[in-house]
This record gives sequence, C-alpha cells and structure tokens, in this order.
Amino acid sequence: MLALRLSLGAQPAVQVRRLLVASASAGTGFLLLSALGHALSHPDPAASALRLAWCTAPLAATVYLAVAVARTDPATRPRPGLSAVGLGPVKLMAVSAATTALSCVLGSVLALLVFLQLRGDLTGMSLGGDAQEFLAAGRPLPLPAALTLLALVPLSASAAAAMTLRPREPVSGAGRAARAYGRFGAYRRTPVRESFGAYGRFGRQLGAAARGRRTDTEAPAREQDGAPADAAEVTGAEAADGSPAVVPPPVPTTAPSGLPWGIAVLAVGLAVEALTSRTGSEGGPAAFLGLALTSLGLALVGPGLTHLCGRLLQAVRPGALRLLAGRVLMTEAARIGRPLGVVCAVVSAAYAMASLHDRDDPSAGPLVVLGVLLVAGCTVATLLTAAVEAKQAHADTTASLRRLGAPAGTLRRAAALRAAALLALFGPLTVAVAELSAWPLGG
Amino acid sequence: MVAPPDNDVLWARALHFRHDDGSPGLSGVSLGVREGEILAVSGPRGSGKSTLLRCLSGLVPANDGEVWFNSVPVHTMGPAARERLRRDRFGWIDPAPVLVPELNVWENAALPLMLRGTGRRRAKAAALEWLERLDVGDRARRHPVELTHAERQRVCIARALAPAPSVLFADEPTAPLHRVDRAHVLRTLTTAARSHGITVVLATHEARTAALADRTVSLLDGRCVRTVHLPPVSGPAESEGRAACSLSV
Repeated sequence: MLALRLSLGAQPAVQVRRLLVASASAGTGFLLLSALGHALSHPDPAASALRLAWCTAPLAATVYLAVAVARTDPATRPRPGLSAVGLGPVKLMAVSAATTALSCVLGSVLALLVFLQLRGDLTGMSLGGDAQEFLAAGRPLPLPAALTLLALVPLSASAAAAMTLRPREPVSGAGRAARAYGRFGAYRRTPVRESFGAYGRFGRQLGAAARGRRTDTEAPAREQDGAPADAAEVTGAEAADGSPAVVPPPVPTTAPSGLPWGIAVLAVGLAVEALTSRTGSEGGPAAFLGLALTSLGLALVGPGLTHLCGRLLQAVRPGALRLLAGRVLMTEAARIGRPLGVVCAVVSAAYAMASLHDRDDPSAGPLVVLGVLLVAGCTVATLLTAAVEAKQAHADTTASLRRLGAPAGTLRRAAALRAAALLALFGPLTVAVAELSAWPLGG
Repeated sequence: MVAPPDNDVLWARALHFRHDDGSPGLSGVSLGVREGEILAVSGPRGSGKSTLLRCLSGLVPANDGEVWFNSVPVHTMGPAARERLRRDRFGWIDPAPVLVPELNVWENAALPLMLRGTGRRRAKAAALEWLERLDVGDRARRHPVELTHAERQRVCIARALAPAPSVLFADEPTAPLHRVDRAHVLRTLTTAARSHGITVVLATHEARTAALADRTVSLLDGRCVRTVHLPPVSGPAESEGRAACSLSV
C-alpha cells in the first residue's frame, strides 16, 4: 500500500520511466504467451522450446531496464523524511521491489488482455491468417501455464531490483583503509634508527604524526607535488590537524578492468564467425555462437572504452570544459559504459541478424520484429536511464558549481562534448563490428 | 533610486525575502559593507543569515528592496548578468566543502579561474600558490576523497580566493569542524582576506567567530537587531565565567 502511495505521488518523468517498464513487460509477456500458443498448436516440442529460449533476450532486456529504473527511482532512495518514521534502507528495498513488481504486473495483465483479445476470447472475433499459428485460437488456453509465464517477468525483475538495491554497509574510510603492508618495520615495532638531530626537529614529538606512522613514501610524494614546502612548516601543520600521516591510497579513478577481456572475447567471436564462413556451415549453431561472443565482447568492452574516451578528452592541457567533460566521463565509465556497450552489442547483432534473415521466409515476421524492437527499445531506454542516474548523482556538484558562478552554458557544453565523444568512438566501432560479423554470415 | 555612499562596496536597503513555500526569510534588512572589511553576520540558526548572503550575492533575487555593488544595482539585473557578476567579482564558500570529486585538488582550486577564461598555466600557478598558503599545498595532486574535512574546507577557501574576488561570501565556513580546525580555517581565511584587501561577508552563529571580524551585524528572525540576549544563567558556579565573556553590544 505504501509502495502504491509512493508510486502515485511521483513526478511525470518517473511515471514515464515506470510506464516504459510496464510496456516492456507487456511486450515480453506477449512473446512468452505466443510461445505458449505455438506449443499448443504444434505437436513438435523442440520448435516451441526454441521459441521459448529466444524469449530470454527480451526478458533479460526487460529486467535490465527495470533494474535501471528502480535505481533511479527517487521514491525508493533513503531519505531523511522516511528514515524519521522508521523506513530504513531494508524497507525501502522492499518498497522498490514492490514498485517494480507493480509496473511489471501491470504490463503482464495488459499482455494477457491483448493476447486474449487477439485470440477472440473476449469479443469472439479472432485474427486470421498467419497469426493463427501462435495464437492457437481454437484451443482452450491452459490458465496455470499462462500465469506461470506471465509471473516470470515481475518475479525476476523485482528479485533483480531487490538484489541491486540491497543495503550494503559502506566500507568506512575506503580511501584511507588501504594500509601499506610495505617495507619491513613500517609499523615501527622495531627500534628506529635515529639520525643526528632527528629528535629535536620542530614538531617531531607533536600529535599523531610523531607516533610512527610516517612512512618514507611521504617525502617523494611531496616532491612530485611540485610544492617544495618547508619541512618544518608542513610537519607542524600535520600535527595541528591531528590527522595521521598519509599512506598513499589507491587512485580512486582506476580504469574498469574489462577491456582486455572484452577485446579477447570480441576477437574470438569474430574468429569463430570467420571460421564458420570458411567451413561453409552458415547459419548453424557455430555462427550463432560467434555472434553471441561478438555481442558479449562488445558489451564487455563498453566501460573500458568509455574510460579511454574520457581520458583522451582531458588529455593534453585541458581547459575547464574538457576537464569537466573528460573527468566526469572517466568516473562515470562503469555507469554509462555498460549500457552503452549493451546498446552497441544489440545494434550490431541486429544488423548481423538482419543480413542473415533476409533470405529466410518471413513466417515469424511480426513476432521477430516485436522482439527486436523490444530488446532495442529496452537497451536504449536503459542507457537513457543511466544517463539520468549519472545526472542525479552529480546534482550536488552541479549546484556548487552554479554557486561558484559557472555558466550553465559551459556545463551544458561539457555534457554535449561527452555525448559527442562517445558517439564518435562507439558509432564507428559498432558499424565496423556489425559489418565484420555480417560479412561471413551473409557470405 | 539613490546611489549608495561611495565607501560602501556592497549596500543593501530594506531587503525583503519570502521563501517559495511562504515562510518568511528576511523582513527589511539594511546594511552596508565597506571596502576591505570583514563583516560578520551573526545570529542563531534560522535567523536568515544564509538567505541574506544569497540575496547579497545575487544567487536569489530579493522580493523587495535594493542591493548595490560598487554603485551598480544588482536587484535590477537579469539572471545571466547576475551569474556573470558572481563569476567575475564574487566568491562563495559553502558550509560543507563541496568539491568536484572527479578533479584533483589543484584542478578544483583552479576551476573558477579556468571558467573565467584564464590560461591553464596561470590558473595552476595561482591555485598552487593559494593552496600552499592555506597549508594544503602538499595535497595538491590528491583527490578530494582522500582529504580530511578540514583540508577540504581549506581547499574550498583556496578555490574561492584564487580568482581574487572583490567580495567573498562565507556561509558558516566552519560549522561542521572541530574547534582546532575551526580556528585554523578562520585564521587563514581572515589573514588571507586582510592581506589581499578582499571584502568578506561572514555568516556565523558563534560569538568567537564574530570576534575575528571588524564589525558584526546581528540578525534575529530576519531583522537586524542591536542587542543579543544571552540565555539565562543557570547556576552561581557559571556566573563568573559568563561575566568574563559576556557580549557588550
């Protein structure tokens, strides 16, 4: 009930996102019901099972979208107003899962209604022609089977949303906690070599800095900072803070690690496709394996390439614009890059499949079109939702920049520059991979 | 409209402000800020200090009243002109240090200069110099997450001071800090402002902080007041200490 109240009170943009989830769920539910109808009207279970297996692609895309929407949902984020009445992160996770389930159930009901309408169960007037094949109009629909299939989307989507939003304890002081298990004697358990005059140096015996956490890595760090500070002054400042001497933590903006794996998988996929075209077994399972590997590689390569793109943007003597655009892209590499890679994978796979399918008989035409549209729409919507999430995550920073007097035009130009850079990198890549994978398949 | 007296760099008359939800913010505040002085705006929480600073710096337009900066009316400017004025002449320090987490410390400090169109090399030199002065020079290549709160706040102050603004608005810059850090941050801020002739408008709810300023304007419920009533003294044991540090206004 609370989830319903929170859902209804949301803003139009949020409602549009939930409607997208509902419509994606409706499309997937319709595809699942069509597989059921095909099984009813055909005696061959293998063909129907294959159709059901193809439904996993739209199902995965729908769940992906639902999770992305749940992550951006402002109603399910921990907020002071709700934690004051005792709604902590755990309860909000439940609320989020319920909201996701609600939109998906809405879509599933819609799918069932449309399916029944097309079958003629509601009005007594059914579609003829090709549609008879998957509607199974003449036969009674087994209700438990239909409900089981329709429950698949809401259950998996809400489970995935709950899994993603489950409350996790933040690692306290993540940056500082990285202790240097460095050289022998780093913790001063062994007696220290005292050089002449070291005891009487100013500030040496003050504060935490004196209690032996000073590692020898500090001095070179200061030298490379280009700030030749007076040693006594800096030591005094540290003692005044009471902050422990710095252990250089890992760089927070590390590159995502998937790039080599992605390139390897992509190369293997392309190699498999080339091999199948040479051995002449086109359209077989090996070709599909190659296509799947290519898509997987493209999806894996996304975050790494996004990070690379940001790095290139801020590379040589950047001004404010390129600095803002590039650095944000580097930190947002995982958030933006993953859905972007998936979009590229879907686009290139769709291109390759189109070149494969134009020779086939278009018997399953409308359903295939629906499935492709569903997957493409879901992935694009996920990408846009991730962009919204990144914008929400930067709201504080943007506000503080505006207080500094940063022109809105600069911030907007930085965002446009990011989008253009991504497009310039990923567009040709997608086209190239699609051409390469379509060439052996179509060959 | 009457132009303000010449020795006031910033001048406000009868400022009225009402928040969007209708709750009262300011009701008739008038004040003048002289060139190069440090003016403390003191008062308890919710007395309208931040709102006054936001109105003076042109972040929000006042509902009624006038704000003049160097004989230029701010209250008649459009949003774009106010934004340009804020970028070119004003500095702003938040209560909490909000730095751009993606940029490292010196890039953060150099960002306002770069946004004004200063070259990268000169912006970097100025930023490093200010960071050095505020005792965070050795952290210049770190990212903000690796710094303590007080260090981040000092980076914010360096960021605000680096473009050499005419007026620096500091909205309770020491509120979330401990007293040692608080004194350090305030001392560096006031020293830097005095040595460079930067006018500072400092919002604070502490008498000790206000003591560092040249002049204090007390706000209470959105109005300027002359006297601040201290809370009643509870026991005879505390009365001695209280008498020693009582405010005389």
